[in-house]
Amino acid sequence: MSLHSNTSNGLVCFTNCLLPQEDGSLLLRDLWIDEQRGVILDAQRTFFLRKERPDRTIDLSGNILSPGFLDIQINGAYGFDFSVYDGDDAKYQSGLKNVSANIVETGVTSLVPTIITQEKSMYPKLLSLLRPYSPSGGANLLGWHAEGPFLQLAKRGAHAPPFILSAPDKWHSFEAVYGEHNLAVREDWEMDVASGKSCGIGVRMITAAPEIDGVMDVIEELTKRGVIVSIGHSIASSDIATRAVQSGARLITHLFNAMPQLHHRDPSIIGLLGASPHISPAIPPTVPPTPVSGLPRSAKVPPPPSAKALTQLILSESTAPKIAASDEALSVGATPPMTPTHKAPVRMGSRSEMHLDKGHVAELEFERPFYGLIVDGIHSHPNSVRLAYTAHQDGCVLITDAMPMLDPHLRDGVHDWRDGKRLVKEGVRLYIEGTDTLAGSVVTMDTCVRNFARFTGCSLGEAIKCATYNPAKCLNIENCKGTLRPGADADFVVLDRQGRVVSTWVRGIMVWTSLLNV
Amino acid sequence: MRLTIRDDATAVGDYIANYIGKRIKEFNPTPNKPFVLGLPTGSSPIPTYKALIKMVKDGKLSFKHVVTFNMDEYVGLPRDHAESYHTFMFREFFSHIDIPPTQVHILDGNAEDLVGECEAYELLIKSFGGIELFLGGIGEDGHIAFNEPGSSLRSRTRIKTLAYDTLLANARFFKNDINAVPRMALTVGVATVLDAREVVVVVTGQRKALALSKAIEEGVNHLWTLSALQLHPSALIVVDEDATAELRVKTVKYFKSIERVQDMVEAQQAEIRAKHKSILAAGHAEGHQ
Repeated sequence: MSLHSNTSNGLVCFTNCLLPQEDGSLLLRDLWIDEQRGVILDAQRTFFLRKERPDRTIDLSGNILSPGFLDIQINGAYGFDFSVYDGDDAKYQSGLKNVSANIVETGVTSLVPTIITQEKSMYPKLLSLLRPYSPSGGANLLGWHAEGPFLQLAKRGAHAPPFILSAPDKWHSFEAVYGEHNLAVREDWEMDVASGKSCGIGVRMITAAPEIDGVMDVIEELTKRGVIVSIGHSIASSDIATRAVQSGARLITHLFNAMPQLHHRDPSIIGLLGASPHISPAIPPTVPPTPVSGLPRSAKVPPPPSAKALTQLILSESTAPKIAASDEALSVGATPPMTPTHKAPVRMGSRSEMHLDKGHVAELEFERPFYGLIVDGIHSHPNSVRLAYTAHQDGCVLITDAMPMLDPHLRDGVHDWRDGKRLVKEGVRLYIEGTDTLAGSVVTMDTCVRNFARFTGCSLGEAIKCATYNPAKCLNIENCKGTLRPGADADFVVLDRQGRVVSTWVRGIMVWTSLLNV
Repeated sequence: MRLTIRDDATAVGDYIANYIGKRIKEFNPTPNKPFVLGLPTGSSPIPTYKALIKMVKDGKLSFKHVVTFNMDEYVGLPRDHAESYHTFMFREFFSHIDIPPTQVHILDGNAEDLVGECEAYELLIKSFGGIELFLGGIGEDGHIAFNEPGSSLRSRTRIKTLAYDTLLANARFFKNDINAVPRMALTVGVATVLDAREVVVVVTGQRKALALSKAIEEGVNHLWTLSALQLHPSALIVVDEDATAELRVKTVKYFKSIERVQDMVEAQQAEIRAKHKSILAAGHAEGHQ
């Protein structure tokens, strides 16, 4: 099979294939693409207006033609760590290129390189190196995901405590760390598009803990500038977490990991998945809600504590020496007291009317956030995966959160890591040598999709949606990635009906096939 | 007029697809002498389209040298609308066969000059030497294309206001909102259909039974426009058993009995045509000597 082939009009028709739809269904349909421009075509328009039809037809033998997978949280792969920069730009870039070229075998066609908390002077450099980049023949590097440094020390996981910061100067603190130009409004990023250097998408993501001093104050501004804010490594109460979402946070970083476990009296961040129409804290928090007419108010609602007061409270707890560094997934022991230290300000919303439409849920005043799930069977129990998915299907985003040891060809055994430490890889389990501390994941995205379908019992089409359309929607790029809409990039993964990768395509060109790599 | 009865809609579709396939092959179309085919939309022709698609996919038939003209299109409905006849034809037929897009013609219901569009359509059909075979379906009120009851039997392509019956019937495609159904359409006329050298009409389902009996057992009548087919020298109606419910037993028996003769007649016709062709070819050869 040839990777490139010349056709007279450059249009290709994929036929005999199932196409995943944005609602999770699979439809037996043809798909037309423009191979030269690397985009999906509106077949009907092409036929009636452009008066053309593809000269070349590719029969996919009943397999699934899915949008390529997106991985919006990945720390490294194939021996390269996005968080390690030793002063050599060329070396770093060749590392990026290597990941891009190899990751396509896992069905991933777009990824957001994620860097863990760094010494603050490193950020401007690293982030500038992580501008959108689409090497030919490889996956698209969409931008950056900065996990930290504005994190909760008590939930730091594998992040280095000395580098974790608060943001007392709010916006200035953020600019001082990430670099002013990296937080500029979106237009700046689109300069690269005109020069053809990027695929047109500049994704910028920041994982932060909203209870940390100054963080809540910048969420709205970050969101306005097109930066995706994700709640993570946090002990935010239900109220704070809700306010973060109302201010613009759209994602929860690796749900269940590095956050308080679900407590029924204050379900914290996880509780956002079940956000009730009944609870709607107002913005700003100092405005008292209007009492619900007809319902007796049993208790006077206390004003919510200021963010600053909360943070001081939290910091005083989290800096206690008893807290040991450990993997995010196993940091339960480091969790501050489960029963909230302050009275959760549960307030009635203004929703007083009952309705009679079965199956209809009264609208929330805000969208529930997306949430990343590591579905390797280790970081979240299958029951937890299903519980989250059942609570909020459209918000589910599969992530690998993979470490540099992610490489399906890497043998089990001991491998060098950073700071002289070594890691032991045992299947999809990765832990620090001499301990039983998990050190991140080495699961591939295609495995996550299959696991997810097994864990939740959902269809393959619905599992695919969580690795394509949902993450694209979370990043506001669902017009060109994670979808088969006309005009979207022709990035595909062809899967057999067991969810195994058959071939991967980027911008209309096949870049990997199992037939050549058996 | 011939009436062919098959057990069900699928068998009707297979029969017509075979029939059209045979006609196209006999015609032996070329780029300079394409086969000109008239096509309908609606649920009735879908089994026929399915069977034709299968013949193309199996390599038994090609539409490379076929030119098509569709019967009708709504006025004012965007071309990309899910219920437009452009969308229907692309989804149900054109996307699956090998027809070049330049050879497909559908009336433009968004044309600025609708009357001009209709006149140009007639001229375009003429420029191809007329339609070789017009495939059609009918409505429950016996309309062929959008030639609603009361249409002139000598009508040509024109703007037509849809009957209330048709609006009601089509409301199901527009979320049962009758106000969303376009009230006008562009449609070929009864005379445009009758001008075709051959007309084949699909009638399936019990709901079409009354229209069928009115069209073939009573006189030519503009309230059942399909009845104009009685004036056509080469008309074929293919129906399923359900559609015969309102016909007299005698009618059904008669048409069943003549079907056997049909194959024989067809074979004879093919032979004659072949003979004519060879005589013509010989004549040409002589003339050039």
